[in-house]
Amino acid sequence: MVGPAPRRRRRRRRNTFAYALIAPAALFMLLVHVVPMLAGALLSFKNLNTFTFHQLFGAPWTGLSNYEAILDSSNPLNDGFVGAVWNTVRYTFWTVLGCLAGGLAIAVLLNRDMRGRKWARALMLAPWIVPGFVVATIWQFMWQSDVGIVNKVLVDYLHLLGDRPTWLAGDNALWAMIIPSVWRGLPLNMLIFLAALQAVPTELYEAASIDGAGAWRRFRHITLPLLRPLIGIQLLFGVIYAAYQYTIPVVMFGSNPGPDADLMMTLIVRQSFSNSLFGFGAAASVLLMGVMLIWVLLWYRAFRRDLEAAA
Amino acid sequence: MRRISWIAWALAALVLAVGVGACGGDDDDSSSSSSTAATGTESLKGQTVRLWIMPNGPDPKNDIDTLLKPFTEKTGIKVETEVVGWDVQQDRIRNAAVSGEGPDITQAGTTQVPFFAALQGFEDLSDRVEDIGGDAAYPEGVWTTTQVAGQDGIWAAPWFTEARAIYYRKDVLKKAGVDEEGAFADWDAMTATLQAINDKVPEIDGKPIQPFGSPGKKAFDLVHHVMPFVWDAGGAELSEDNTKSTIDSAEAAQGVSYFADLLQKGLYDKSQLQRDGTQVENQFKGGRIAVWIGGPWTYASTARADDENWVDSARKNVGIAPMPHGPSGGEGFTFVGGSNLMMFKSAKNKDAAWEVMKFMSSDDFQTKYAELLGMFPSRSEPQQAIAEKDPGYQSWYEAIQQGRTYAPIPQWAQIENAYKAHFGNILDAAGGVGGGDYSDETVTSELQAAAKEANALLAQSAGG
Repeated sequence: MVGPAPRRRRRRRRNTFAYALIAPAALFMLLVHVVPMLAGALLSFKNLNTFTFHQLFGAPWTGLSNYEAILDSSNPLNDGFVGAVWNTVRYTFWTVLGCLAGGLAIAVLLNRDMRGRKWARALMLAPWIVPGFVVATIWQFMWQSDVGIVNKVLVDYLHLLGDRPTWLAGDNALWAMIIPSVWRGLPLNMLIFLAALQAVPTELYEAASIDGAGAWRRFRHITLPLLRPLIGIQLLFGVIYAAYQYTIPVVMFGSNPGPDADLMMTLIVRQSFSNSLFGFGAAASVLLMGVMLIWVLLWYRAFRRDLEAAA
Repeated sequence: MRRISWIAWALAALVLAVGVGACGGDDDDSSSSSSTAATGTESLKGQTVRLWIMPNGPDPKNDIDTLLKPFTEKTGIKVETEVVGWDVQQDRIRNAAVSGEGPDITQAGTTQVPFFAALQGFEDLSDRVEDIGGDAAYPEGVWTTTQVAGQDGIWAAPWFTEARAIYYRKDVLKKAGVDEEGAFADWDAMTATLQAINDKVPEIDGKPIQPFGSPGKKAFDLVHHVMPFVWDAGGAELSEDNTKSTIDSAEAAQGVSYFADLLQKGLYDKSQLQRDGTQVENQFKGGRIAVWIGGPWTYASTARADDENWVDSARKNVGIAPMPHGPSGGEGFTFVGGSNLMMFKSAKNKDAAWEVMKFMSSDDFQTKYAELLGMFPSRSEPQQAIAEKDPGYQSWYEAIQQGRTYAPIPQWAQIENAYKAHFGNILDAAGGVGGGDYSDETVTSELQAAAKEANALLAQSAGG
C-alpha cells in the first residue's frame, strides 16, 4: 500500500511550496490594488470636497448624486466630460491600430536574413526605452508651430505644406499625442511579433508557395492565425494602457489640455485634485473602470480560444 | 523535499519583510516635546522646526538657509527647509494638513490661504499676531490674504508680495518712435504702442521680434494676466458678497475682449499660446517679444549674471510700466499676489515654529529676502523703503498700490481653474488655433459657461 498516499503527499507539498511563493504577491495585490479600489468606490458615494476632505471616509453619504452629476449633461460640472470620452476613444483607436499594424508590418519586414538586421532591430527598439515623460517633453518642443522641428521640416525644408499648422491646439492636438504614442509603443509590439515570427517554421511558407500561394495569402492563412494569441494579448494591454494615458497629455498641455485634447485621466485628475471634487473624480474613475471591464469581457469572448489553445 | 519547503517559507517571509519595510513611512523626528512657556527662547534651544518653501528664485534652498543661519545662531532653534515645487505644492500641503504628517510651517500662495484654512489643519494665529504688529504693520490688501471672507481667524503671516506690471523693451520703443512716458497709460495707448512696434520694428539686432506675448491655458497664472483688464472695465470675478459669479457681465466681457482682440489684430503673437508662463518669460528674456506682463522677480534677474536666458540687448533695455488704466478714464488695476506662511496644527513645536515665523516677519529679514528674489516685503515700511531706494522698483511699488486680489474664499482655487479653462478657450479661438471661429458670441458663451461652473463650485458645502 505504498502507492497513493506518498503521491498525494508529494502533490500537497508541491502545492504548499507554490502557495508560499505566491502569498507575498497576493498580499501586495490585496493591499496595493484591491483595497484602494474598494476605498475609491466607497468615496464615489460620498460628498468629498474642500470642506469635507478632512473627514475622508467620514464624509457625508450622498448616494448616486456624483454619478448623476457626471451623466447629467445640464450639470455645469459635467462640461467637457463627453468630449473627453470621445477624445479617449479616438486616441485609443488610432494609437492601438498604429502600434499593432505598424509593429506587425515592420516585424514582417525585418523577419528576413539581411545584412545589418541586428542593427536595424536595435535602432527600432530605441524609442521604447525613452521614458514617457521625456517623450512628451521632446515632442512638445518638436510640435511648436513657429520654431519646432516638425514644421521646419514640413514647411521650410520639404515644402510639403504652405502654412505652418498648429499642432498643440485645435484639431491637430489629438494627433500631436497619437503620433508620439505610436512612435513609442510600436517597437515593443514589433519585437514581440518578430520573436513569434521567427518561431514559425519556414517549411510552412515553402509548402504554401509551392502550392501557388502569393505573399498576401501566405500572410493571411499562415502568419496571422499563428500570431493570433499574441495579437490578442497586445490588443488587450494596448487598449487599457491607451485609455489610461496621462503622462503625455499632462506634460504636453498642462493639467487642462482643452476640449480638443482632454483625455479621461486628465479630466479625472483635474476634477479631483485641482477642483477638489474628490467624489466626482472617484465616480468617474469607477465608471472608467467599468468600461474597461466590459472591454476585457468582450476581449475574452473573442480570444478565449487562443488562450486555451496555448495552455 | 522538506528542506525546500522550509526555504520557500523563509523566502516568502523575507520578501514580505522587505516589502513592508520599503512601504513604511518615515520615522518621526524624535524632537523634544513643545514647551508651554512662552517666556524667552531659552527653553526652545535645540528644537527643530521644519519649513516647506516653494522655488522662490533660481537658488531657493541656499537663499533661505543663508538668511536663517543668524536665527539659529541666536536662538539655538534649528530650521530644516525643504523645497516643494509649485506644481505639486497644493497636493502636498493638502495631504499634510489632513493626515497630520508634515512640516511645522509652510509657504502658501496668498490666494490659497482660505482653501488650506478650510481643511482645518492649520493653526489660528489670532492670539500671536500682535508680536508682529498685527494689521497695522501691513497694507490692507496684504492683510486680507490672511483671513477667510466672513469668518474669524488669522490663518497666516504675510511673507512677500508681488504684483504684475508691463515689461517693455526700451530700445524697441525708441526705434518705433514711441515715447516711453504714457506708452501704456490706458488701453488705447497700449494698442497704439503695440501697433507702432508691429509696423515699424519687425526685427531688432537682426532678429525678428513680436510686439506682445502672453501664455495660454498652459500657464498656471493665466487668470492673473486677464483679470486686470476685467477689473479695468468695471467687472469683477464674483459678486460683492461672494455668492455668485459675475464673470459673464458685459463689463467682464469688455475686459476679456480687449485682451483677446490683440490676437485678432496680430499684435499678440499667437504661438505664445502653446507655451507656459516660464517659457514665455524666457521668450521675453531671449529678445523675441517686445512687451510682456510679468512679476518683479524677472526684473531682479537682470542683475543676476548666472541667469543665461537673457540676451544682452534685452537685459540692458528693460523698462517697467504700471498696467494700463481702463477705458473712459477708469482706474487701472493689477493683480497683487505673493506668499504667506502658515503653521500646521500638527506642528510639534508650536512656540519654536512661531519664533521662526516672527523672525521671517522682521523688517530686516523681509527686506533681505525680498531683495534676493526681486519680490517686495509684505510689511508696509520695508516696502516703501525699497521703492525709495531704487528707482527701478518705483514702478513696482506703484503697481502694488493699484493692486487687487481675488475673493478670499476656500473655493477660489477651483473657480480660478474654471476661469482659466474658459479664458484659455477664448484666447485659442481669437488666435485661430482652436475652439472654432472667434466672435463676440465666443466670448459671451465661454464666459457664461465659466459663470455656471463657478456657481456650481460656489454651491459646494459640507452637507450630505
